[in-house]
Amino acid sequence: MPGRSTPAAVGAALVLLLLAGCAAVGPARPGATAKPAREVLPNGVVLIVQEHRASDVVALQLWMRMGGRDEAADELGLAHYIEHMLFKGTPTRPPGSIDRMVEGFGGMSNAFTSYDTTHYDFVVPVEHVREGIELLADLAANASFPPDEIENEKKVVFEEMNLIEDDPEKFLLRRLYELSYSPHPYGRPLLGQREFIQKLPRAELLQFYRKHFVPKNMVLVVVGTVDPARVRPLVDATFGRIATVPPARRESPPVPALDRTRRAEIARAEKQAYLGLAWRTAPTGSEDIYAVDLLTYILGDSPSSRLNQTVREQLRLVASIEAGYGAFEQGGLVTVMARLEPANLDRAEAAILAVIRKVRAEGVTEAERQRAVITAESSYAFDIETAEGLAKSYGQAETTWTLDNELAYLGRLRGITAAQIQAVARKYFGDDNYARVRFVPESTSR
Amino acid sequence: MIRLALALLAVVILAVPAGAPAQTTRERLDNGLTVIVRENPVAPVVAVSLLVAVGTRWEEPANAGISNFVHAVMVRGTTKRSGAQLAEAIAALGGKLSAAGDMDYSEIRASALSRFWRELLGFTAELALAPRLSAGEVDGERDWIVGRIQKRHDNASARAFDELFGALYGAHPYALPVLGTPESLGRVDHAALVAWYGRFYRPERMTLAVSGQVSAAEVLAEARRLFGDLPRRGAVTEAPRPSPANPGTRRVIEQPAQQAQILVGGIAPSLGHPDHAAVKVLSTVLGGGMAGRLFVELRDKRGLAYTAAAYYDPVHDPGALVLYLGTAPENATKAEEALLQEVDRVRTDPVGADELQRAKGYLLGRYAMDRRTNERQAWYVAFYEVEGVGQDYPERYRRAVEAVAPADVLRVARQYLGTLTTVVLRPR
Repeated sequence: MPGRSTPAAVGAALVLLLLAGCAAVGPARPGATAKPAREVLPNGVVLIVQEHRASDVVALQLWMRMGGRDEAADELGLAHYIEHMLFKGTPTRPPGSIDRMVEGFGGMSNAFTSYDTTHYDFVVPVEHVREGIELLADLAANASFPPDEIENEKKVVFEEMNLIEDDPEKFLLRRLYELSYSPHPYGRPLLGQREFIQKLPRAELLQFYRKHFVPKNMVLVVVGTVDPARVRPLVDATFGRIATVPPARRESPPVPALDRTRRAEIARAEKQAYLGLAWRTAPTGSEDIYAVDLLTYILGDSPSSRLNQTVREQLRLVASIEAGYGAFEQGGLVTVMARLEPANLDRAEAAILAVIRKVRAEGVTEAERQRAVITAESSYAFDIETAEGLAKSYGQAETTWTLDNELAYLGRLRGITAAQIQAVARKYFGDDNYARVRFVPESTSR
Repeated sequence: MIRLALALLAVVILAVPAGAPAQTTRERLDNGLTVIVRENPVAPVVAVSLLVAVGTRWEEPANAGISNFVHAVMVRGTTKRSGAQLAEAIAALGGKLSAAGDMDYSEIRASALSRFWRELLGFTAELALAPRLSAGEVDGERDWIVGRIQKRHDNASARAFDELFGALYGAHPYALPVLGTPESLGRVDHAALVAWYGRFYRPERMTLAVSGQVSAAEVLAEARRLFGDLPRRGAVTEAPRPSPANPGTRRVIEQPAQQAQILVGGIAPSLGHPDHAAVKVLSTVLGGGMAGRLFVELRDKRGLAYTAAAYYDPVHDPGALVLYLGTAPENATKAEEALLQEVDRVRTDPVGADELQRAKGYLLGRYAMDRRTNERQAWYVAFYEVEGVGQDYPERYRRAVEAVAPADVLRVARQYLGTLTTVVLRPR
C-alpha cells in the first residue's frame, strides 16, 4: 500500500491515528525475495504465507477488514476497545494467561487499530508456530470480554487519550484529520469519546465483535522460518473451522472537498506555535499514489527536502517542518506540519504555499526524483528485513489494497518521471484547497 | 474436536531446523584485523559493525568517557569530507552511520541499501582510518556529551544504576560510566583524544562485521583492499585491572523523582565463564518479564512495586547480576524486604520444573528476538569475536541454557547472591 510517509517526529501518532497511512511497497529486487503464497480457505479466510529466513522467528498477524470507519457515530472507539479486550481471554484462556503464554515463549505481542483495518501481531520463536496460530484463531472466534477486564481497561484507554492530547504533534495531526475529513469517519477519533467509553456496555462490544469478526474479514499472515506447505493444515484446523457469516461493512459518506472554510485555531500550553496544513490527495486505489508519495518525500522528508531548505534553513521561519502522506481506501491526505514562533505563523504558511507553487510551476529535478526513490526503497527495505515487517506490508496490502499492487509498488515508483510528480502537484495542491490547524500559546491566543 | 486435531498435528515438525539461514565467513587479514561476513539474502539491505577494542575497560577515573568522546569527534568529519558532507553522502545511499563507545569496545555502525555496500564500506573505512579529529570540534562535542550526562543524572533509574555499578566495581574500570563525568571530560583535551585514537586504532584490535544481501567473497576482497595496508602494531601494554570490590554496602541517595528505585546487586560470572548460562537462567527466574518471581510476588500479589526486573549482561571481566525495583516511596521499605526474601528463597529451595522451563523458553526466545535485523546480527558476530568466545557461541549458549538443572540454579544463587551491594534512590 502506498503513502509511506510517516514523518519521523509523529511516527508514534500514526500508529494509532493513521496506521494505514504508513507505507508499503514491493520488493526492491523482484526474484531476490520469494513471493508470498496467497490462498483463500472455503469459509473466506485469506492465508498469506512466506518463508523468510532472516532469523529463527515467525511473525503471525491477523488482519481484519474492519476498523474505525465501521463504527456508528454513537459508538466511537469500539474497534479500538476490542483491540484492547481481545488479549484479555477466551473461555479456555483466563485473563492474563495470553500475555504470559506469549512471554513464556520469549515472544512479543501487539495490536493496532486504524480506520480501514485492525491487526493483532505475534512474533514467536519458530518452534511455537502451532500454539501461536491456535491462539490467534481462538481470539478471532471466542474472545470472552470478561466484565471486570472491560472496567479495568477503561483507565488504560483514558490514559492513551491523555497521551495524545499531551503531545502537540500527535494532537495536531489528529485535529488536522478531523478538520479535513469530517463528517467522513476518517475524521473521527479512533480512541473514541470519553463519555461513550465511560459507560460502554459489554453487549455492544460483543455485538460489534460478532458482526465484524467473520471469516471473510480475516487475513492471516505467516512469515518466517516455516515451510508454507506445513502451515496450511494448521490453519485449516483452526481458522478453517470458524463458521461463515456474511460480512457487512458500514457505508461511509463521500470524503469532502477542502476549502478555506476548514480552519481551526486552538490555544495550547506550549510556548511555541504549531502549524498544520492538509491537502486532499489520492486514496489507495488511485494510480496517482506513486507520484504523490515521491512528491511528499521531495517536499518534506529530510533535512535536504524543499520545505526544510527554504522555510527552515533560508527563511528561518520554523524550527522544524515535515510532510507526510496518509493513504486510505476512501481518501488520501498530504500533511505539512511545522513548529515555530507564533509571530511567524502567517509568513510560514505563505512560504510553504510558495514552495509548493514553485513545484507546480517548475517541477522537480532529476536528482530530487532519484533521491526520493532511494529514500523510499531504503525505508521499505529496512521494513521488510524482519519477518514482522514483511508480514505487516502484506497484511496491509491485502486488507486495504491488493497484494499484487504491493509487490509491484517499488517498480512503479521507480518508473515515475519528474513530469508526473509535477502533474500531481498541479492536480492536488492548490492555494485554496487545504485545511489548516494552528496551535497558539495560550498567552498570545486571540 | 479442534483440540484433538491440533494434538495430532503437533507431531508434525513444522519448523525448519533453526539456525539454517545465513552463511557466515570469517577471515583474519595478515595485519590481524578480523573480517566476518554474514550472507543474508532476505532483504536488500546491508549493515556494518566495526568494533574496536577500546572502551571503559582501558580507562581510569581521570579520563573516564574518553573512548566515547573520541568517537563523537570522529563522526564530525574525515580528512576527505566534513561531517555534513559525510551525512549527505550516506543519506544518498539510503543509509545511516554513527559511532559510540562502550565498556569493552567502541563501535562504528552503518547501514544502507545493499547495492551500495561498497560505498558504505568505503565510508566506514574512511571514518575509522582517516578521521579529521579537528580541534575545533572538541569543545562543542564535549558540551553535547556533558548535556547527555546531565540528562542521565536527572533520570532516577539511570542514575541509580550508575551509582550501583560504581559501588559494585570499586576500583575496577567497569565502575566508570561510559559517557564519563563532566570533570573527566573537562580534563580530556584535543591532544589526549588524538593520542587515545592512535593508541587503540590498530588492526589487531579491530573486527569488521558485515551482514546483509552481499557476497562474502566480494566483501572480503574489498575489506582487504580498504584495511589490508594498515601496518601491524602489536599489543597495547595493559596494566592489570583490580578485582571488582562488591563491598556489600547499602547506600541511600536522594533526588527529585516520582518513584523510589531499589537496586541490589552482586558480582557474577563473565560472558565466557562456565556458570554464565546458569546465572542467565537464575536472573530470568527472578526477574525475566511478567512471570519472573519479583514481578509475580512483589507487583502482582502484593502491589509493592511498579517495575520489578533483573539484569545480567556480562562482557569480558566479571559481570553484575542486578535486581531492580521501581516503587512508590511509601512502599520502599517493604519492597526491599520482600526482594531480599526472594533472594533467600532462591538460595534455599530448588526451582520447580515448570518454572525452570518457562525461564529457559523466555531466555532463548528473547535471544532469538534480539537477532532479527542485520544491524543486530552484524553487532552480535563482531561482539563474540571481540569478546573471544567464538562464532559458535550462539549454539553453545543454547545448549548450555537447555542443560541447566534446578541444582545448578540453586548453586549459582548461593555462590553469586551471597554478598549484595545495595543502592536506594529516594525521591526528595
